[in-house]
Amino acid sequence: MLVERIARGDAEALGELYDRYGRVAFGMLYRMLPGPEAAEEVAQDAFHAVWRRAGSFRPERGAVRTWLLAICRNAAIDWRRTRGKRNEREVSMDSAGELLAEGKVDERVLDALAAERVRKAVAELPAEQRDVLSLAFWGGYSQSEIAARTNTPLGTVKSRVRLGMTKLRQRLVDER
Amino acid sequence: MSMTEERHPTEDLAAYALGALDESEATAVASHLETCDRCARDLAQFEDALYEAAVVGAARAETPRDLRRRIVLRHRGARAVRATDWSARLREWVARPVPLAIPVALAALLVISFAAVGTARREADTYAQALAGVADGRIVALAPQKNAPAEARGALVIPRTGDPYLVLKLSGPPTGKTWEAWVIKGQRPIAAGLSGSGGIFTIVLSAPLDAGDVVAVTLEPSAGSSAPTSDPVLAGST
Repeated sequence: MLVERIARGDAEALGELYDRYGRVAFGMLYRMLPGPEAAEEVAQDAFHAVWRRAGSFRPERGAVRTWLLAICRNAAIDWRRTRGKRNEREVSMDSAGELLAEGKVDERVLDALAAERVRKAVAELPAEQRDVLSLAFWGGYSQSEIAARTNTPLGTVKSRVRLGMTKLRQRLVDER
Repeated sequence: MSMTEERHPTEDLAAYALGALDESEATAVASHLETCDRCARDLAQFEDALYEAAVVGAARAETPRDLRRRIVLRHRGARAVRATDWSARLREWVARPVPLAIPVALAALLVISFAAVGTARREADTYAQALAGVADGRIVALAPQKNAPAEARGALVIPRTGDPYLVLKLSGPPTGKTWEAWVIKGQRPIAAGLSGSGGIFTIVLSAPLDAGDVVAVTLEPSAGSSAPTSDPVLAGST
C-alpha cells in the first residue's frame, strides 16, 4: 500500500501519491490561499506532513484521499493564521461565498456525471447552509469566526453547519 | 471522566471534518476519536462528502511543473519518521526506570509519594480513587525525565482486564499545548491519548500495549502530534 511505502521511507511512493491526488490538492489550496506561491508552499508543507505522519495512518479509519485532504486543509488554515496577511484573509472571506464556484471546476479530474451529482447536491442545500459551509471549507473560518463576522448567533451557525453537512453526506455518500 | 465515557461528540463531527471547531473543541473531539471507532466511521463519511465537493470546487489551476520533483527530492534519502531518533534516545533514558513493576498491593505507597510532595489532600484522594479501581494487575512508575516540570509524577496501570491507563500528576499544559501519551514499540512511537488537564488526571491508552514497550508523555501542540515533537517529561518501560 502506498502509505505504508511512504512510512518505510520510500520517496517515490510520495511522488505516486502526488500523481494521484496532487492536482486536486493543489487546486483546493489555490482556492483557499491568496496566490499560487502560497498554494505551492503549503502543498510542499502538506506532503512533508504526509511523510512524517504516514506511520500513524490508520486505513480502517478512512481513505487516503480524505486523510490527505484534511492534512492539506489544516496546513492551509495554519498558513493563513500564522503567515497570511489580514487583507488577504478579508479578500478570501468575500470570495469564499460559493461552495462550487461556476467555471472553476477542473473537468480533467472527474467525470461529468460525478460533477453533476455534486453540483446538484450542493444546489439543493438551503442558501444559508451553503454559505456557512463555503466560509468554513474555502475560507478556513471557524464557526465562532463565521458567527462574529456575519452577525449570526453561534448556535445558528452550528446548526447550519450540522444540517448542511448531514444533507451533503446523505446525497454524496449514503445514496452512492 | 473522559469524553468516551461521557458522550459521543456526534453534533460536532461535521464541523470537525470542516476544520470549523475552535481549538479546544477540536482537541476534545480528536481525543475522543482516538478511541471511538463509531465516531471515526461517521467522520470518514463527512470527509468523503467533502472530498467530492473539493474535487468539483477546486480551482482550475495548473500544478507547478516541478512541484512533484521537489517534493520527491526533498525526501529522497531522508528517513521516514524523525521520531526514530527520539525513540532511540528515550530507550537510553529509560534503561533503568524507577521502579519497575510494582504489585497493585503497593499502590498505596505511590499515593503517599504523590501526596508527600506538597499536594493537597484532595489531589491525593483523586489519585487514590484512580488506582482504587484496579482489583488486580500491575503498576509501573514512570520516571521523570530531565525536562520534567517540578513535582511531575506518573504511573502506568495495567489492569488484568480493560485498557491500561496512565495516572499523571502534571501542571496544566501551556496555552496551545496538550499532554500526549505514547506507546513506543521498538523504534516506533504510537500516539496513545491526549489530555489538556492539570493536577492529577488519567489518560486511557488508545494504543495496544505489549511487554517491553516504552510508555512516555510529551508536551505537544493542542491537536496532538503523529510523532513526538519534544523530549518526554515522563517515561517508563513495561
